[in-house]
Amino acid sequence: MTDQEDTHLDEDQLLQAVVDERDLPASVQDHLAACPLCRGEKERFEQSLARFGHVAERFTPAPGRRVKLPFSESTRRPSSWYWIWRGALAAGVAVAAVMILVYGSITVKTTRETTLASLTQEMWADDRLMTEISELSENALPVFCLDISGESDPGLNEEFIDFVVPSIEGEVVSRNRGGVSC
Amino acid sequence: MVHVDQAQSQPRTSGTGYRVTSLVERARDGDGSAFEELVDLFQEAIFRMVYYRTRSRMDAEDLTQEIFIRAFENLSKLRDLERFRTWLFRMAINRVRDFYRKKRVLGFFRTVEDDTDADLADVKIQDDPGALDHIIRQEFWQQVKSFSNMLSRLEREVFFLRFMDHLNIREIAQVMDKNESTVKTHLYRGLKKFKENSTLLQLLEE
Repeated sequence: MTDQEDTHLDEDQLLQAVVDERDLPASVQDHLAACPLCRGEKERFEQSLARFGHVAERFTPAPGRRVKLPFSESTRRPSSWYWIWRGALAAGVAVAAVMILVYGSITVKTTRETTLASLTQEMWADDRLMTEISELSENALPVFCLDISGESDPGLNEEFIDFVVPSIEGEVVSRNRGGVSC
Repeated sequence: MVHVDQAQSQPRTSGTGYRVTSLVERARDGDGSAFEELVDLFQEAIFRMVYYRTRSRMDAEDLTQEIFIRAFENLSKLRDLERFRTWLFRMAINRVRDFYRKKRVLGFFRTVEDDTDADLADVKIQDDPGALDHIIRQEFWQQVKSFSNMLSRLEREVFFLRFMDHLNIREIAQVMDKNESTVKTHLYRGLKKFKENSTLLQLLEE
C-alpha cells in the first residue's frame, strides 16, 4: 500500500465522497473501498442525511385535496363500461321523459275539465243568488207575513184600501172645510 | 461497488419510467385520463417539495394545484418526454419562487411583519398525534429553518432537492439549469454546513 492509500480520508474528502465518489482521486477511492473505518464514517454521515429526508417526509402532512384538472369529461378516454353505462343512462332518461309527457298531458286534460265544471257551478250559484236578491227587493216580507198584511189577497185593491183607510191629505181638507162652517 | 449517489438518488418512480413517458405522450395528445395518472404519480412528491419550502399546508396545496394546471397547459412545450419529472420540479421551483416574490411585495405594504412560521400553525391543524410528537415536529422544522438560513439560495436549493426531494445530481442540474459541477460545488458546501450543524444532527440521532 502507498502512503496515500494508508491515509484515512479527511473531512473534505469524506464530503466529496458523499457528493460523488467518482470525483475523488483513484488512490482515495481505493482506500475508501478497502478501509472499513472510512467506509463506516461515510455511511454514518449518509445515514444522517437519509434520516433527515425521512423525518422531513414523516413530519409533512398529506395533501388534503386532490388536484382538480381543467379538462372536461370529453377529453378522457372512456372504457367500454363507460359507454354501456352512458347508453343505459340515456335510455333511462328517454323513458322518464316519455312518462313525464304522458302523465303531464293526462294531468293537464283532467285539470282543464275540472276547471270548466267548477266555473259552470259558480255561474249557476251566482244566478240563483241574483234571483233571490231580486225577489227580496220586490217584497222583503216572508210568505206568512203576506197573509197578515193582506198582500196575498187579490180582492183587496187600492180603491178598497183608500175607502177603509182614507189618506191623511183628504182628512186635512175636510177638517179645514168643517172649521170654516163652524 | 454500488455508487451511493446513483443508488440513493434514483427517482421513486424509476420503475415506472417507461410508463411515465408513455403517459406523458398520451397526455400531450389530449388524453385527460393519462394526465390524471401523472397527477396520481407525482402529486405527493410535488406537494412535499412545496411544503418543505413554504411550511404551510394550505399554500402547498394551492401551489401544487397551480403547478399541475400549468404543467397541463404547457405540456405541448415539453420536448424530451423522459424529462417530465425534472420539468415538473423546475416548474414547481419557479412557482415557489414567484410565491415568495409576491409575498415579499405584499409584506412590504404590511405594518406588521408576517413572518410567523406557517408550518407551526399547520401542525396544529393536523390530526393531533400527541403533544410530544407535536413538540418534536416543531423543533425539527425550527432547526431546518435555522439550517436553511445558513445556506445560500443555491446551496439550499441543491441540498433540499438532493436529500429531501431525492433527485440525483443530473436531475438537479436539469431542474436548476446548471451544469453538474456547479451543482456538486453547492452540494459540497451545503453538506459541510450540515455536518457543522450539531443541533440538527443531534435531533436526528434522537
